[in-house]
Amino acid sequence: MTALLDIKNYRLDIGTFDGPVHVLKGINLTVNRGDTVGIVGESGSGKTVLVRSVLGIGPRNSKVVEGSISFDGQDITNLPEKDWTKIRGIRISMIFQDPMTYLNPLFTIGRQISDVIAAHEKAAGQGVSSKAARRARTEELLDQVGLPNPSMLFSQYPHQLSGGMRQRILIAMALAGKPDILIADEPTTALDVTVQAQVLDLINSLVEKLNLTVIMISHDIGAIATVAKRCAVMYKGEIVEQGMTQDILNRPQHEYTQRLLAAVPDIDVAPERVAAEVSEAKPGKRGNLLEAIDLKKVYRSQSGTDFTAVNSISLAVKTGEIFGVVGESGSGKSTLARMLMRLIEPTSGDIIFDGQNISGLSGEPLRQMRRHMQFVFQNPHSALNGRHTIGDAIGEPLRIQTDMSRRDIEARAEALLDIVQLPTMFKYRYPHELSGGQKQRVCIARAIALNPRLLILDEPTSALDISVQAQVLDFLQELRSELNLTYVFISHNLAVIRQICDHTIVMKRGEIVEQGDTEQIFLAPREEYTKSLIESGRKTSQAANLQV
Amino acid sequence: MLTFAFRKLLTLVGTMIGIAALTFLITNVAPGDPARLVAGPNATEDMVATIRTEYGLDKSLPEQFIVYMGELVRGDLGTSIVTTRPVLEEVMRYAPATLELVFVAMFLGIVIGVPLGMLSAVYKDGPLDQVTRIFSISGVAIPAFWFGILLQLVFSVDLEWLPVSGRLPLVTRPPEFVTGLLLVDSLIAGNFATFWTSLQHIILPAIVLSFPCLASILRVNRAEMIEVLQSDYIVAARAHGISSFRIVALYALKNAMLPTLAMIGLRFGWMLGSTVLVETVFDWPGIGLYAVSSALSSDFKPVVGVTLMIGFFFIVANTLVDLAYAWIDPRLRKA
Amino acid sequence: MTAHPMTPIDTSVEDTRPLTFRERHASQIRQWRLYAHMFRKSFSSMLGLSLVVLFLVLAAIGPLIVPYPEAASGAINMSAKLQPPSSTYWFGTDEMGADIFSRVIIGARTSLWIGVVITGIAAIIGITLGIIAGYRGGWVRAVIMRVTELFLAVPGLALALAIVAALGPGITNCVLALAIVWWPGYVRLVEAKTLSIKEELFIESARSIGAKTPWILWHHILPNCMSPIIVKMSMDMGMAILSAASLGFIGLGAQPPSPEWGSMISVARTYMPDWWWYSLFPGAAIFLTVLGFNLLGDGLRDILDPRSRDR
Repeated sequence: MTALLDIKNYRLDIGTFDGPVHVLKGINLTVNRGDTVGIVGESGSGKTVLVRSVLGIGPRNSKVVEGSISFDGQDITNLPEKDWTKIRGIRISMIFQDPMTYLNPLFTIGRQISDVIAAHEKAAGQGVSSKAARRARTEELLDQVGLPNPSMLFSQYPHQLSGGMRQRILIAMALAGKPDILIADEPTTALDVTVQAQVLDLINSLVEKLNLTVIMISHDIGAIATVAKRCAVMYKGEIVEQGMTQDILNRPQHEYTQRLLAAVPDIDVAPERVAAEVSEAKPGKRGNLLEAIDLKKVYRSQSGTDFTAVNSISLAVKTGEIFGVVGESGSGKSTLARMLMRLIEPTSGDIIFDGQNISGLSGEPLRQMRRHMQFVFQNPHSALNGRHTIGDAIGEPLRIQTDMSRRDIEARAEALLDIVQLPTMFKYRYPHELSGGQKQRVCIARAIALNPRLLILDEPTSALDISVQAQVLDFLQELRSELNLTYVFISHNLAVIRQICDHTIVMKRGEIVEQGDTEQIFLAPREEYTKSLIESGRKTSQAANLQV
Repeated sequence: MLTFAFRKLLTLVGTMIGIAALTFLITNVAPGDPARLVAGPNATEDMVATIRTEYGLDKSLPEQFIVYMGELVRGDLGTSIVTTRPVLEEVMRYAPATLELVFVAMFLGIVIGVPLGMLSAVYKDGPLDQVTRIFSISGVAIPAFWFGILLQLVFSVDLEWLPVSGRLPLVTRPPEFVTGLLLVDSLIAGNFATFWTSLQHIILPAIVLSFPCLASILRVNRAEMIEVLQSDYIVAARAHGISSFRIVALYALKNAMLPTLAMIGLRFGWMLGSTVLVETVFDWPGIGLYAVSSALSSDFKPVVGVTLMIGFFFIVANTLVDLAYAWIDPRLRKA
Repeated sequence: MTAHPMTPIDTSVEDTRPLTFRERHASQIRQWRLYAHMFRKSFSSMLGLSLVVLFLVLAAIGPLIVPYPEAASGAINMSAKLQPPSSTYWFGTDEMGADIFSRVIIGARTSLWIGVVITGIAAIIGITLGIIAGYRGGWVRAVIMRVTELFLAVPGLALALAIVAALGPGITNCVLALAIVWWPGYVRLVEAKTLSIKEELFIESARSIGAKTPWILWHHILPNCMSPIIVKMSMDMGMAILSAASLGFIGLGAQPPSPEWGSMISVARTYMPDWWWYSLFPGAAIFLTVLGFNLLGDGLRDILDPRSRDR
């Protein structure tokens, strides 16, 4: 039996200002009918370029240096554009990462899907069917991907729908041509945990029902494991390892795969740290560093309706602990974090830091207070001003808050770079020259420049690759014991929360659903919502798949 | 959609009041005596004093403003000193000529600019793209009045293909007044000879007026098309097998039209402003020429009247653009 | 914790000797070389730069090198009036017998002055108001933006015409009027840019370390607004010169015999079509100058704005 898709020794270069970049180096991959293949890789591994090449929509200025891609016996490596119309979307189709940007905002859902149907009919050489027939087919597809009320959806625009719904619509579009191969490019990355699990379930059920051949690429090895029976690991443009998913998960051969797997935080493993923690001084004896009492934030929209982002939240963070805040997008966790630091004004409620009520502070006292509490932002790429050098960025808090001399500030900046384990040479660099992990270290250096007592970390690792995330998390824990810091740690990732937090609150729609000792919450969740959250997280976690 | 349109209408009225205030400010805050300005440079002290009381210029500024606004509401734009006729009447008489010129120029700009921009984007860096690039950048840089003179030199004086100036030859009787636009009125009257003559007259000034406008519509459309063609949803449409022609001509063009529309609105105003130059070069009897000749003879009321009128046309055009925006983009309809 | 795989730089050297200037500023040097490379690659950018440099040189030394310097001040030489271009009078002579070539060259200085003053005043007012409107928001922004929109609601040339008519003709009033109608463009640009930069995390980050508003505006927002401002200023130099020439052409700007290109054409128009050179050369001077600034601005946009790089 010939393979449905056969990629042989495929090498691809992209021409840039600095000369050609070897994006893909000798890729060999075979996909048979009925296979479910996963491709795992971190950013820059070339996985997206690879699958796009399969569809003939690779990056501009790219050049195939060597090798070939053949589909169902036909060589499609350098297929002319007009021949693609018979394959693209019909025999091979694709679903994309961010469902918002991949739907045209100016056309209705129905129009976009029926256009795809019409295009397929035209390519197949048959006449385009009537508008009503296409509408019926569209609604059938929408129904197939589990969307309620297809006839209403037909005349709606993308901006009126949620992320999960949009992703389902993209899947419906991809299924319109009854494709031989469905390529899924990070189909869950932009979605919330619970929605992720639903979309993965949907893909699985479609594979079963329609006997689909699926190639799914993701940076999330857990998501891959839920869908793909076989899997390939990509690193810097090469496939370093491929085989059955179970084998790779259980017995990774390549050093990179081992490192990657070790870095994945596991939701079902209690951290070793907990044991040590218990033997330490009892947490209950320590005083509260930060308290919030009945904190509330109400936004008023232009139309006059109120939206309560955070509703009557009270919490107490003890000195020296890591206080976790977990929730999905829209749960109000970021708003809460910013209110604790007075970056957003609370509508009502009090914030007490080290015994002092800071909710009424303004002007100079507020500025002074900022020394003691610092914030580390989610996205290190935009948290640094691209026009300042790293040295300036780290020195800025000192220039603002102290009257240290330029020379002293420079020395202190070097010392801080040393603390965050970056070479002092970096002070002359600009943010765009650094990697994501390095930038986040710079942000941390900036945050600890004034010797604060509390760090609020807002999803500090979610914009980073998994292996980098592990390093940064380790480093944050080291730093805390070295500098006697207290952390408020915000994340949507339950496994990360479990790994490092002592005490955790679970948020949903601006309210605390459950709070308590982290281990307690994970071992014996009391609330339904917490249970479903942990369940969804577990579904994409590797451990669940290892047990199969 | 209806409430949206209603809100736009309210903004329109508000802006009109604002422009009225602005013109009032210019007249009264400018150094120099407005009474003297009205009286003209050769007036005696007595005449100035008479005018001061006659025009109510001895009252306080807020009082004067209220009087001024009251006059505007009643459609009183004052009287021209040179012709001693009401400014409103004269502006209304000259406005159709200007509008006709601007409409024809805008038509040329859109009909040529949008497709050329689209083609340059699709065949980016190709020969056509190179040509349109040079064309569009020099189009914005060329002085309209100089370009007009050059065209007259070549097409009217040298080749004698087209008339040098004016709207119609003096001997031709204009068609019966319906819209004031000669091209339309002559067609309504069924007088094709007059239509042909007025078309010959309008070609050169319309080309001069549309040239920079065409250039910037082309550039915006090209830039937007290039950006849209690289966007995720176009990649997705390609991946789903939609034909390239359909993607470019239907999907991408609609998305790229939004910024292009904004540019069209902006350029409409620019054209109205530039009529003062083009009408001067071509002796085109519109409000631009009226404003220039009044300004040169220190006849201030007509200048203000024309400014108000041009502002009014511009706001109406922008409101239409806003409505078109909402019509194209479903995300704006709720707002 | 295991060793970090991301320290490619050898750190052992730095303690032994201070870094040289070149090493410390390696990033900036590379950036500027990249800019220069990209700029040089583009023919139109280089053409623009050449035209602008030529214009600036002529504006600086023009009066010293022209064959008939007295032509600028309205010297009359009726024996040589309205002569066609020749080896003595390269661009011909005007109705007073003045050498048009000399007048065009000397006119560069007038135009430079016009362009710099209009663009400068407009930019200073516009940037200040724009940055305040964008950052402060609320009623401050509402007031500033309403006024700005009001100015933008009347086409610039029409409004300038009205202002000059009120102030009286003349080059100073013309420049003043154009500056008054020019600043709203900067407000709109800077306000929009500020609004988007304000949402960036690094602004919140600066606030969280206790930075005051002026510090944030000066150190964070302004530097990040600069690229589009520079591009706009370059383009506006050309457009301001063009607008001033337009008012001069109408007869409300510079008055003859001042060697201003627009007013030269204004007079020359009455000598059409027989004495065609009279309006041809001043017009070409305007065209090439405006073209130069536009091409330069376009080229700067290509290198400063990565988003447009592909265009």
